[in-house]
Amino acid sequence: MRNGLLFFLGLFAALLITWAGIVLGSNAQLGHLAPYFDENEGKAYPENTPGIAARGLLVYDDLGCAACHTQQVRRPSYGSDKARGWGDRQSVARDYMRQSHVQLGESRIGPDLSNVGARKPAYDAEDLYKLLYTGQGGMPSYRFLFEDRKVIGEVSAKALNLVGSLAPAPGHEIVPTHRAEALVAYLLSLNNVYEYPEARPVEPAAAEKGEHK
Amino acid sequence: MTTASHAAVTAEASNIDSSARCTLSFLIASALAWLLVSGLLAVLHLVQAYDASFLAHCPIFTYGRLGAMQETASIYGWAANAGLAVALWLLARLSGSPLRSLNWACGGALFWNLGVTLGLVGIALGEGTSTSFLHLPYFVQPLLLVAYAAIAVPGVLAWTGRKQSMTFASQWYAVAALFLFPWLLSAAQVMLHFAPVRGVLQAIVEGWYVQSVWYLWLFPLALAAAYYLVPKITGRAIPSYDFSALGFWTLIVIGDWTAGRHLVGGPVPAWLVSLAIVSCALLLVHFIIVALNLRGAFSSGGPVLKFVAFGLFSYLVGGLWDAVTCMRSVAVITQFTWIDQAQTQLALTGAFSAIVIGAIYFLFPRVTGQAWPSATLITAHLFTTVIGTLGLVLSLVVAGWIQGHDLANPAVSFADIAAHTSSWLHFALAAQALLLVGNALFALHFIRLACTKPAASGVSVFAQPPAMEASAS
Repeated sequence: MRNGLLFFLGLFAALLITWAGIVLGSNAQLGHLAPYFDENEGKAYPENTPGIAARGLLVYDDLGCAACHTQQVRRPSYGSDKARGWGDRQSVARDYMRQSHVQLGESRIGPDLSNVGARKPAYDAEDLYKLLYTGQGGMPSYRFLFEDRKVIGEVSAKALNLVGSLAPAPGHEIVPTHRAEALVAYLLSLNNVYEYPEARPVEPAAAEKGEHK
Repeated sequence: MTTASHAAVTAEASNIDSSARCTLSFLIASALAWLLVSGLLAVLHLVQAYDASFLAHCPIFTYGRLGAMQETASIYGWAANAGLAVALWLLARLSGSPLRSLNWACGGALFWNLGVTLGLVGIALGEGTSTSFLHLPYFVQPLLLVAYAAIAVPGVLAWTGRKQSMTFASQWYAVAALFLFPWLLSAAQVMLHFAPVRGVLQAIVEGWYVQSVWYLWLFPLALAAAYYLVPKITGRAIPSYDFSALGFWTLIVIGDWTAGRHLVGGPVPAWLVSLAIVSCALLLVHFIIVALNLRGAFSSGGPVLKFVAFGLFSYLVGGLWDAVTCMRSVAVITQFTWIDQAQTQLALTGAFSAIVIGAIYFLFPRVTGQAWPSATLITAHLFTTVIGTLGLVLSLVVAGWIQGHDLANPAVSFADIAAHTSSWLHFALAAQALLLVGNALFALHFIRLACTKPAASGVSVFAQPPAMEASAS
């Protein structure tokens, strides 16, 4: 390789072509996605995340929750995602179109969280606060998201109902901080169960019978 | 070998090396400091992996933040500083003249390390972006780009001012790494953080950036060193050198198409994943050519050659491993498990670090004009690197395999998975600690050499390069 200029042009072209292929190629396919309007329900999906949940995403980001949790359900015939109750259908690009920061995640030290707001039996906020406060299995406790304070007057309506060794000292209460409230609101907003036309699960059995959903 | 490297032989221990003493010492010293920081963080991170309550009360050390800090310290701290030092030195050697505009590199290195330090503090305080390979907070990213450009100035000048028009494989790899990284970094910054693309495109861009950092930056930096050191130390020309250009362009042109490598089964276009699988297989051409060209590394030689040989071994095994685990039928088990971690470790600690450490052992005595004080310390470092890396990678692979099979069985709870993998994570921790001890020895050895005054007859140390490699000093 004697020609330096040609060498640089080659390097640049290689980078540009791959970038165009990967990024512009995907954009050509996904860029026109729009919310899906369901006329029966009179609503467009995916729904907008409420403000407090959008703030919760920032907490999810800064604590690094994605180090252990994915947010992508694989199709029913691929892996045990459906059997573990993470979702009846695979995640599709449209699920994420309203999220300001998409965190698909790379590691499943803990369960997938794509549909944590749609679990059966359903979680309520209290369950998630307790989970965050005490930790469970391989999950650490995040006590710094809670405030241990003296009860002044009546016990706060937000105070966690903890018993046994976890109970606060007498006259004290454990209440979630704003960050914990935002994080839990975000988690409960994760609810991608609406069946878009492109998201109907591919059941191998149905294909064999020649059925077309 | 080409004329370029012949010219370099005659320039042995000349002012080409000594003129860059300050800058290269600073880059290498910072690299070693970051290597220790990232090793320490990696140990803490692995303790948390099996004991979730460890440091759990401490918000700056959540498992996620610790992992982000460790990754940042090892890539932007250790790998960037060390890789740039080696690349600058190689380009100077192969251009046949001393580096020019070193002030730029010095200032750039200062700001680069300042940026990485601020970045780590930012991540600890919750400013991290939670983006693979780009956890650095928004406010330091532009600084890093500018600092990088400044560090690369002497390298670009060495390339444009080279004395021979004919170029050598080392130069291609070094120049490609220097030139392409700013494009990657700026494109990723804009598309992910400053004007983020919408929806899953973010995940696709993230995948593109991660694979680009490997294939267009870190691996080329390591290969630049390997292509220089192997013929230099063995004293034999590179066999089948004609193929090296094909190997180079295969890596540069195909490497990036593996962007969908970690998105198998995800909510992304299926062609992206298929393309990644095909590209991983096509890249085997590159790995075969590297193996063919650099097989001399596996002949007998001193510790420098052994470091390079171990690095190349990791590189080749990693390439093959990648081609196997990205296939859909394998990824259904291995994806999202410790096996992904094992691959990262094999590529970074094994392939990149071993080759670059070998290069530092080779270049630093030449830059300072005196030999390493102790051959025993070098041998000890070699052993800890080889055993530590193999132990770490193998225990993570076993842990990942168990984890993958448990995940596939919905009856196994996450608490059970943690219990099943726990003992293997202990092994991984021991290996990581061993690596840290070895790297600490390396840092001490480096300080000892850097603090001794140059001998009056420093040049005589390098009278017989081949003999010197054999005695490791």
